[in-house]
Amino acid sequence: MKRLALSLGAMFALAALPPIGRAAPATLPPPSAESVGSATILRQADSAASLVGVAIVVRAGLDRQTMKENGLAALVAETIVRTPVHDMTPLEEAIAARGGSIHFTVDSDDVRFYVEALASDAPAVLELFRAALVAPDFSAATLRDARAALVRQIAQSQQIALQVGLDMLNAASSNEANLGLPELGTPNSLAQFFADDARRFYERYYRQGGVLVSAAGRLDALPSGALAGLAGALPEGVTAAVTVRLPRLSGSTHEIVTHRDIASPWLIAQYPAPRVDSQDFGPMLVLAAFVRRTLSDIAQVPGVVSPTFASRSVGAIYAYDRAPATLVLYVNGGLNGNPSRAFATALSIVNVLAATPLQGSIEEFKAEAAGDFANDATTLETRTWLAAVFSRDSSSPDFINRAVAAIAATTPVDLQRAARKYLGNPTIALVLPRGTNLQD
Amino acid sequence: MIGRASLGAALVTILLAFVARPAAAAIPQALSALPRGGSYVLDPDPTVGTAAIGLWFRAPGAGYDNATPGISNLAATAAAVVPLASGRSLYAMVHTAGGQLNIEVYPDIVGIGAVVPASAARRIVAAMTAAYFSSNVDENAVKTARANAAVLGVQQRYEADTTLHDLLFAQIFLNGPAHYPPLPDTVSALTSISASQVGAFAKRAFRAENAVLTLTGNIDASSIAAVTDGNGAGAMDPPYDSPLAQIPSTATKTGAVDGVGLAWLGPPISDEKAATALDFVADYLFRDQTGLVSKSLDRSRSDAMVVGQFITLHDPGVMVVTIGGNHEKQAEQQVLDALGTLQQPLDRATFDAAREAFLYHVASDTQTPQEQADNLGWYSVEGNLPYAPGTAAGAYEQQARGLDPQYVADVVRRYLGKPVVVDLIASSPQPGSAP
Repeated sequence: MKRLALSLGAMFALAALPPIGRAAPATLPPPSAESVGSATILRQADSAASLVGVAIVVRAGLDRQTMKENGLAALVAETIVRTPVHDMTPLEEAIAARGGSIHFTVDSDDVRFYVEALASDAPAVLELFRAALVAPDFSAATLRDARAALVRQIAQSQQIALQVGLDMLNAASSNEANLGLPELGTPNSLAQFFADDARRFYERYYRQGGVLVSAAGRLDALPSGALAGLAGALPEGVTAAVTVRLPRLSGSTHEIVTHRDIASPWLIAQYPAPRVDSQDFGPMLVLAAFVRRTLSDIAQVPGVVSPTFASRSVGAIYAYDRAPATLVLYVNGGLNGNPSRAFATALSIVNVLAATPLQGSIEEFKAEAAGDFANDATTLETRTWLAAVFSRDSSSPDFINRAVAAIAATTPVDLQRAARKYLGNPTIALVLPRGTNLQD
Repeated sequence: MIGRASLGAALVTILLAFVARPAAAAIPQALSALPRGGSYVLDPDPTVGTAAIGLWFRAPGAGYDNATPGISNLAATAAAVVPLASGRSLYAMVHTAGGQLNIEVYPDIVGIGAVVPASAARRIVAAMTAAYFSSNVDENAVKTARANAAVLGVQQRYEADTTLHDLLFAQIFLNGPAHYPPLPDTVSALTSISASQVGAFAKRAFRAENAVLTLTGNIDASSIAAVTDGNGAGAMDPPYDSPLAQIPSTATKTGAVDGVGLAWLGPPISDEKAATALDFVADYLFRDQTGLVSKSLDRSRSDAMVVGQFITLHDPGVMVVTIGGNHEKQAEQQVLDALGTLQQPLDRATFDAAREAFLYHVASDTQTPQEQADNLGWYSVEGNLPYAPGTAAGAYEQQARGLDPQYVADVVRRYLGKPVVVDLIASSPQPGSAP
């Protein structure tokens, strides 16, 4: 194969440059939407692809758990992935052996499975998944395997400082207490569940109401009815979220500190952010591009145009696909000579944005926002997920054209309005190596 | 080893060929000549929002006399930052358009890649070909390129995989471009290369006729009209192969990090079946998350990282496995044991499952416009474009589907016997390193 491009590839960083005239963006074919019972099917045919990717979104996420059921949504999903299918092979392995892959993600209000396969194998792979989805194996052995797999994943994610910080911030910012629970649970909470708990959760929440089947790629390779078969696989019914209210933190600023077995400190700030159906969606995409640029410029080695460890040590993520949506800024202290300065400067600039209109053109930030959005939507997985997010949270699954239009329509006044509305009161997480403290 | 003349002739044939798509794929992949020299590959996908534009050259990383390691890197970077006729550089234009520019410099080739919103594609095609086909690098551009290379060089010392890769190639190849690292070890080696040397190298290496332009994603053939530079005369350079060391020796080197590197000489890119078999072996054993060796590493006791791949080159290819983190010697033994096991054929069911997984991984790894543009560029300049992975029902997929357990075991026995080993020892002990 082609050699992996590691450090030899010089990915250039951003430079402050004057805007230029640009051609009008071409309109891309939007996903099509079809209702099947109380489920929805989204399709993006791509004849240039070699693969078929299908995201199946079920309303069985964190908000269906009580506080005592922390991790149950993940345990049920992992059980499905490990359910024995043909020849008693776990689904995940059976799909891999047929030329595909499967994984799942637990979100605030849903769990999403993503199944991908070579076009020629996709019909068989989707049928394997459908079989496991409608009849998971809640035997003690499968449940034990699922629990062990989750515990391993939790241990790995605890080594990722950014993930640890985001988990803490999500817990602090969630409107409902159960939405802030760790997505995979904890080893202790998982140990409390028996097969009946998993089966009960599955029977209650794996229903057709609100199911999204979002497919992209070589859809011509699928037999007619394959996607409808998935969408209609679960029993009819609509489920409701569990309401768990706890008093929210109050005050002008919040700081959360924790320690992990990591080599260097991470500084993370989280702000509330608009959903994709908000008039502030486009402005927030541009603001995120502006903040990313600013952080990178602060961290970059002066005079160097390629990204360096320092410029990669910072970033901004506008998580518009989760509920509630957030904007996150982060600094990895291990790759940045002065993380406190970089972090403080970024927070100051965000504050200034809210108070003062931006001077000069914002065209280059709009271009960057549009480029980032388009470039992040090139894999089948991101395309299926974005279509699902836009379908779920707005009136249309047409993610790319709507995002590009929202960015194009953004004015400096919109930017300041969005900054003032959302960027005033961050929650800050510090993830520190064990044995260090705030003064260090 | 394939003769250079015959390879050149083969390439002409390749460039005139047509890579067929399956009937279900509506958009054909086109191959043709650029209007002013060189060639292009077009693989459009109008359903995505970006276009990937690549420009690939055959160019010796250490210069045409192998005396200036790093010159290719300096030239490629300087050409990207020097102002064009519009007053703005390629680098500036790409980023102003909301895109990303990526420069990949290898011992024998250079690849320039841009991913931009589709609306900017034509403009960037014009800028990229102007920046390289009519390169006019100046002192300022070379100064920027030197600073850039110096910082990247320092960073690279902390990346075990890249460092070991360069050290292994230095052991395997007696001299020639592959013997030298694309980035030199010292800043003085960079500053000793003058702007005039860089300029002369750029003019020679980045000729239109020495280039393959790759266009993927949301872009169509009309963008070719934006290529207005190039003089149309001459032919692509022959491949820059490197002579082999007679008996490659094991070495111990000091560096900023610990690690172990293993390498084996493999088949040339023209031996498609054997090269595909070694790709299969690398995928089966070393792919992150799913590889047999990768899965067997005990994460609770070790943070060892194993990266293994067969690097498809004109002649010869090289299988490289690098091991970083702690307990690397135990991981090395796991690698060697796994390869020893593969000298016997896998049982049919295991093999069939692994081959299907391999085919899927290849397709999954080549699904974005940038990945596809990079593959088309790499395989073009290494001399076998029709063999580029990611083309549905193309030569690569056919070779992969034709593999069988016995053949793979034969290839493992033929190529993956005793490796060249480089032990990289950190000059100051690393926290957590094994005693």
